Amino acid sequence: MHTLAVYLREARAQVLATWRTPQFMVPSVILPLLFYGVMGLGLSKGREEIAHMMLANYVIFAAIAPAMFGFGAGVAAEREAKLVELKQIAPLPAGGYLTGRLAAALALIAAAIALLGGLAYIGGVRMEPGQWAATLGLGLGSTIPFALIGLNLGLRMGSQGATALANLVFLGFSLFGGLWIPLQAMPAWFGKIAVFMPSYHLGQLSQMFSGMQPFAHVERHVSILAAMTLAALIGAVMAWRRQDA
Amino acid sequence: MSSQSTEPPIAILSKVHKRRGATLALNGLDLAIRPGQCVALLGPNGAGKSTSVALLTGRLRPDAGEAFLFGGDPRTLASRSRMGVMLQSAGLPGALSVREQIDLFRGYYRKPRPLDEIVRLAGLEGLEKRRCGALSGGQQRRVQFALAIAGRPDFLVMDEPTTGMDIDARRALWSAVRSEIARGCAVLLTTHHLDEAEALADRIVVIDHGQVIADGTPEAIKSRVSGVAIRCRTRLSDPELASLARVTGVSRDGGKVTLLTTSAPATLRELLARDETVDDLTVSGASLEDAVDRLVQAGQAAALQRQTKVA
Repeated sequence: MHTLAVYLREARAQVLATWRTPQFMVPSVILPLLFYGVMGLGLSKGREEIAHMMLANYVIFAAIAPAMFGFGAGVAAEREAKLVELKQIAPLPAGGYLTGRLAAALALIAAAIALLGGLAYIGGVRMEPGQWAATLGLGLGSTIPFALIGLNLGLRMGSQGATALANLVFLGFSLFGGLWIPLQAMPAWFGKIAVFMPSYHLGQLSQMFSGMQPFAHVERHVSILAAMTLAALIGAVMAWRRQDA
Repeated sequence: MSSQSTEPPIAILSKVHKRRGATLALNGLDLAIRPGQCVALLGPNGAGKSTSVALLTGRLRPDAGEAFLFGGDPRTLASRSRMGVMLQSAGLPGALSVREQIDLFRGYYRKPRPLDEIVRLAGLEGLEKRRCGALSGGQQRRVQFALAIAGRPDFLVMDEPTTGMDIDARRALWSAVRSEIARGCAVLLTTHHLDEAEALADRIVVIDHGQVIADGTPEAIKSRVSGVAIRCRTRLSDPELASLARVTGVSRDGGKVTLLTTSAPATLRELLARDETVDDLTVSGASLEDAVDRLVQAGQAAALQRQTKVA
């Protein structure tokens, strides 16, 4: 009971701190809404299938920034301030700190995705309830791989380096994953890079879940994502252990 | 300093060796701290103070030897829940208020101190609603102290606690630490301010090159340095000063020289005869700082001698 209460309080504090930090809130919630409003709805006016396809991409896009910045830049900054060390010495159960951060990222991403869904509905996007749940749920679930990749930056780099690299990775994942602009509209070499981006595979799955693409190569996408997630997890565990040698 | 010091130690470093990078940070260090004791760990930079603290707080593991806290491993949750720590130059999450941050740390403990008591002890009245990011450096240190005492610890570790504090805040913190000691809490303090060590500690442990070179009450440490300190400005060089009658130690701080001597009249007669420009002259009992400087110098000279012998 005590342990559970500690986890909950830690999570609440992280959510609160994140909520009050505009440099997290703006790229995390406002940016996806703004982009989707302009590009997904504004430019596709009257063509629901484009708004529909863009929604499937944007629910993945919405997970990248909170995960990359919360776990990359955020952890690096708190590590540099010795706050992580202080919490490891304090009787906070192991994992409490990262669980708190994960809760904050999930809360932020859930808010962004819910708002995106609402915006899409207003814009005329229609799906079966199961498709809505699968599409929005996949967006929320994609927090995990992005957070683990971000954590590798946060645990291995200084605050400034991690922030810079988190920005680059955020842009790279969004652009080369085909989340901003569909890959069909881009030069062919984009597609060659795309397969190395977790965002591409998540985007493809999201298109299928939302009914915009027929289900195909699901196993390949899922196994590549699983491998990437596992690699990031192992890297993060190693980096976490190394910092208390 | 009383019946308390017969109680079994709560924090022990036993024949600890720890290598950090290329240097041997701790070289067979022994240290035992008992309930109600306030131990000041002193020594030059790189002597092994931070490494000792890191071992007792479970941040590092000894390469050889053992570290115990409350009879167990310092890394366990049970040990950690009886300890409070104030790290050197630690930050705070800027977006949380003082009250939220303290409450968060209170929540880590099963029997935390009441919030009001923590706020009062740390001198944070009126700042509870302020965001941590909007506090001055000294105020942030006070929040760090509040976090350290949030669980009513039996062992309080403070690494350079009063850096960035003004004199009133330092005194207030000292008196709060004293009341922690009075209720039986053991304190381990590292500091560069010898007045702080003198104000709080009932036991001084001087370490250098990863070993304890002196251990005793402040009075005992001071008496290890025989006699009197002469402070002045002079144009004489260190070797010339060291050759003056009865001089046992020479150190410089800015333009001023401190001579330790077993006989102030004998030394002064020669000093004034050799250098008629002597200025700003004072004579006083040796301070704790003089004593520690002297002990470290003597230790380094002895180490140098050993090295030359080996070579």
